[in-house]
Amino acid sequence: MGPLQLFLGERDLGKQKSSLIFFLAYLVSLSIVPMVMGDYEAMNFAYFLLNVPLGLSVTLVWGYCGILSFGQIAFFGVAGYAYGIIAGNLTQLPAYEFIGIGGGILSSMLLASILAYFLFFARVENWIIPVLTLVFTLLLETFLAQTAGYQWKIGNVLLGGYNGMTGIPSMRLPWIDDPLYGYSFYYYVLTFVALVFVALRIFINSKYGSIIVAIREDSLRTEVLGYDIRKWQFFVFVLAAALASVSGILYVQWGNYITPSQLGLVAAAQPVIWAAIGGRSSLLAVSLSTIGMTWFSFTLSTQGNQLSLIFIGAAAVASIMLFRDGIVLTLWNNVGKLGKLFEKK
Amino acid sequence: MDRNEKDITVNTENVESDGSTRRTFIKGSLAVGAALAMPAIITSKSAQAAGHAAAVKVGHLEDLSGNLAVYGVQKDHAAQLAVSEINAGLTLKGGPVGSGGLGAFGNVASKPPLMGVGKGDLNYVNDGGGRSKEAVTFTEDDEILVDSGDDGILGRPVELINLDGQSNNNVWQQLTRKLIQGDKVDCLVAGFTSAEREAIRPIVDQFKQLYIYTNQYEGGVADANTFCTGAICEQQVIPVVDYMVKTFGPRIYTIAADYNFGQLTAAWTKATAPLVGGEIIEEEFVPLSVSDFSTSIARIQAAKPDWVFTLLVGSNQSNYYPQASAAGLEYPMASTVNMAQGYEHRRFSAPSLNRMHNCVNYIEEIPTKRNRDFVQRWYKMFPNDPYIGQMAQNTYFSIHMYAKAARLAGTTEQEAVKKALESGMSIEAPEGTVFMEPATHHAGHYIRLAVADAEHNVQFLREWPMITPWWLHRMGVNLVGKKEYKQYIPDEDPYFTMFGK
Amino acid sequence: MEIAPLIISLVYQALTAGAFLVLCSIGLMIVLGMMNIINLAHGEIMMIGAYVASLLVTEGLPFFLTLPFCFLVGVLVGLVIEFLFIRYLYSRILSALVLTWGLGLIIAQGALLIYGPFLPSIKIPFGSIEYGGFTYSIYQLFLIFVAALLVALIYFILQKTELGLKARATMQNPEIASTIGINRKKMFSITFAFGAGLAALAGGVLAPTTTIAPFMGTQFVAPAFITVVVGGATNIITGTLYSAGSLAAIRTPIGMYLGSFAGTVGLFFAALILIRLYPNGLASIRLFGRR
Repeated sequence: MGPLQLFLGERDLGKQKSSLIFFLAYLVSLSIVPMVMGDYEAMNFAYFLLNVPLGLSVTLVWGYCGILSFGQIAFFGVAGYAYGIIAGNLTQLPAYEFIGIGGGILSSMLLASILAYFLFFARVENWIIPVLTLVFTLLLETFLAQTAGYQWKIGNVLLGGYNGMTGIPSMRLPWIDDPLYGYSFYYYVLTFVALVFVALRIFINSKYGSIIVAIREDSLRTEVLGYDIRKWQFFVFVLAAALASVSGILYVQWGNYITPSQLGLVAAAQPVIWAAIGGRSSLLAVSLSTIGMTWFSFTLSTQGNQLSLIFIGAAAVASIMLFRDGIVLTLWNNVGKLGKLFEKK
Repeated sequence: MDRNEKDITVNTENVESDGSTRRTFIKGSLAVGAALAMPAIITSKSAQAAGHAAAVKVGHLEDLSGNLAVYGVQKDHAAQLAVSEINAGLTLKGGPVGSGGLGAFGNVASKPPLMGVGKGDLNYVNDGGGRSKEAVTFTEDDEILVDSGDDGILGRPVELINLDGQSNNNVWQQLTRKLIQGDKVDCLVAGFTSAEREAIRPIVDQFKQLYIYTNQYEGGVADANTFCTGAICEQQVIPVVDYMVKTFGPRIYTIAADYNFGQLTAAWTKATAPLVGGEIIEEEFVPLSVSDFSTSIARIQAAKPDWVFTLLVGSNQSNYYPQASAAGLEYPMASTVNMAQGYEHRRFSAPSLNRMHNCVNYIEEIPTKRNRDFVQRWYKMFPNDPYIGQMAQNTYFSIHMYAKAARLAGTTEQEAVKKALESGMSIEAPEGTVFMEPATHHAGHYIRLAVADAEHNVQFLREWPMITPWWLHRMGVNLVGKKEYKQYIPDEDPYFTMFGK
Repeated sequence: MEIAPLIISLVYQALTAGAFLVLCSIGLMIVLGMMNIINLAHGEIMMIGAYVASLLVTEGLPFFLTLPFCFLVGVLVGLVIEFLFIRYLYSRILSALVLTWGLGLIIAQGALLIYGPFLPSIKIPFGSIEYGGFTYSIYQLFLIFVAALLVALIYFILQKTELGLKARATMQNPEIASTIGINRKKMFSITFAFGAGLAALAGGVLAPTTTIAPFMGTQFVAPAFITVVVGGATNIITGTLYSAGSLAAIRTPIGMYLGSFAGTVGLFFAALILIRLYPNGLASIRLFGRR
């Protein structure tokens, strides 16, 4: 099967070509959005968009492989810190930002593989993984929070403790002098995220995707069929860490800044909530819910009243109680049914 | 000084003919540009005949929900109070006094000044004759809230745009961009934790936004766009360590929150204790998540200090006080954060905070009339508030100070207002006189040593009417002459590194 | 320094830390062990317990008399949450996790809106005693006693009563249990309410030692989850005891000699290593023959 067939495979929303059209429309609409907005809105939208790979990483491990991880935010953070350290030290080199991006993703994957070794080769019970990844994330936060001071200077970059690492280099393309900002940064994020999305969708519809879904459906049966599920879980976990690290790097390029509290308890739960609200077994649904929820949270906080956290909590409760498969996925399926009704007439 | 010096008499407030406003005239040769000095001083109400002018936008960003809402809501109320007073045509007294502070740039008088103006009233120093209409004062006015002669700021109403940071740094960055780029605020007042401040400072600097950070903190921010109006280490640590060493003895045990604020303040303690004959016998750093202190309590007992310096932050860590008290730990304590910020002496039952000492720039219990009036005004507007903290008072006077600076500049154009704030502004805050030191963009404060007794009543042991910030001077910072955008930490000062980490 | 007082102090610290872990985790452990539900609102239910204690003490009730109310309010809250939400989620453990996270946010921020940033603290009862240069809080000794009592009580209920027998049967195999006439739904709602009651009671007894504030629950979440993970869900009693005991025994000496940061990090690493060694939790170690 060619990439296009794989992209149109059945393990995501929409089996027909209409989904491709929908996806293209989605890309085009996202491209048009900043044209009617100012630089500031473009930057804001870039923020909503750059969280998508983080949401997708939870979709991959939880939705497709059945492993719930609260550790994605740790990989997000480690990649952000690693990018800051590497890019911040190599500003003399040409295209140092790209070295930083590569280094950031690799650091996260390395850390993920160490953690995954403990988790999967010990064959811990399924429910332990979310709790353990949460504990791991909190440990990382505690460690980073006490790294104020000069003994935590790596090259010429300060880790900065609880106050965070500042002055992280923005993204810059070799043929453009200015760092990306506003529209240009928005298009950079859009391209990066769209590439990640397409690649992931092709992957999930390939035969490897089948194995991963098989592990979720019945791990014992999959194992009996001759697959070493530990290796596959390990692989998926590390891949998901790479996805989360894409978000982490885009985030520090967006805000030039990262703090340990971005790896805290509240932050750790966020991508899981996005996935649950969107419908964790669909990449497109979670992409939409990620953008929707970050926008919702932002809009609430601009109101300046004290109810924003209550609304966010209520959104989580409502999506679980009313939309078993997530809001976006449920709506999608029902819209499909409505469409069929029209066809019959 | 090669700038165009102008002799001007600055009328800091509207004059009352009987002279009952004591700090009526401060005579000085102010090195401020002509553009600043001219229109600011007298802006009569009639000047607003222009009609419905666009509002002056003050952006205020604090945590109204989540873990830090305790402090954020107070600051939000302070901003509302200040803005409502400004819109009602009121202002706090004070005005530019010159870049060196009170009286530093005064003209040399023909005769030496004489205390008591020869009549035995020691509240006054005569100015040496000649050019002053009134004497210069150094006592405090009781009444500080006076008619501003202005409606809002420069005849324009003030609009407060207050947003909720949700105790989440990501949201902070987004909202800062919204305030600066979306709402185009004229002045940004924001930030409780240092992490929040550092999260938004890059954005502030990118857009050269006038930014006022009103919290007590570890010090060191040298940023041309940022004005810090909270107290810092040199104003709090040195006086309290000096008092404690002399009163209780030299052996100090420091227990501090394991992050930037705790570590840097502990470094200050370690470096300054030897100057007053003290010695740090042990330092312990506690992660912010720790809430069970049995081990720390036993460690303190094993070390047997003369007193304990507690730099504990956040609601988890304030558990230390009841736990230590129940375990019978009865050492005298000192701090730079407790009581004035999280009102622990009101929240915990006595005697958890018995013998807690803190050098504060503000605490609700300050007995002066001007503060009692302020407290009364506050509770009239917000009757259900539990306490007025130090940072709430800072936010309050900071917004008034912004209004004064904009009037002095004659415009809300931000570079002009920053210049006006660098003219050596002084303002009569509920705590006392506050002076915005131009070179470091930090405030000189009236510092009081407050102590809680066994019933948690607050008493004041000593007062320092003006401690100016000096450490950044030592680091060679002069933001008027050379713009910088960084935070200095004690590791950069060779004096501190002598004491190790 | 003499060695005897130091050892006694270390034992006291370890027991205090262990009691803290037991109190934090016992309600969570029961719900997880019996129902396979991870309750992320556990900390907020503990907060409710502390709020009940503080509000009643403010009303003039002696502190110890507030504790039964803490438990009852916890049970009530548990029943409501179970009735409205949890009963639809028994087969969906991970959905329950997201749901309880949302509930936790609503409860904490709701408390902030209704009661403001703090409630009055409760004076710690009793005084302290001194031995060999160290002082000991009598209330902390009382907490150790309470923790032990709760564990003993749960042991008694599970092993010696008919309800406990039914509960254990449901825990091991809900389907078979329902075929022999045990009302599985009723069992689950009793268990969830009991777990919530224990959490609120723990919040009540810990209230004097903490700041009583809307987001106080977060401080209990990490210790509670670590204890539960290390203990494993196969046996509530031995899991809690082994796990709280070993974690406290590791953390206390490290904390005493290297400071709190090392103690906290030591706790996390101990948890990681214990899980690698005993993936099914310490409860799976058989010390006394079959479990």
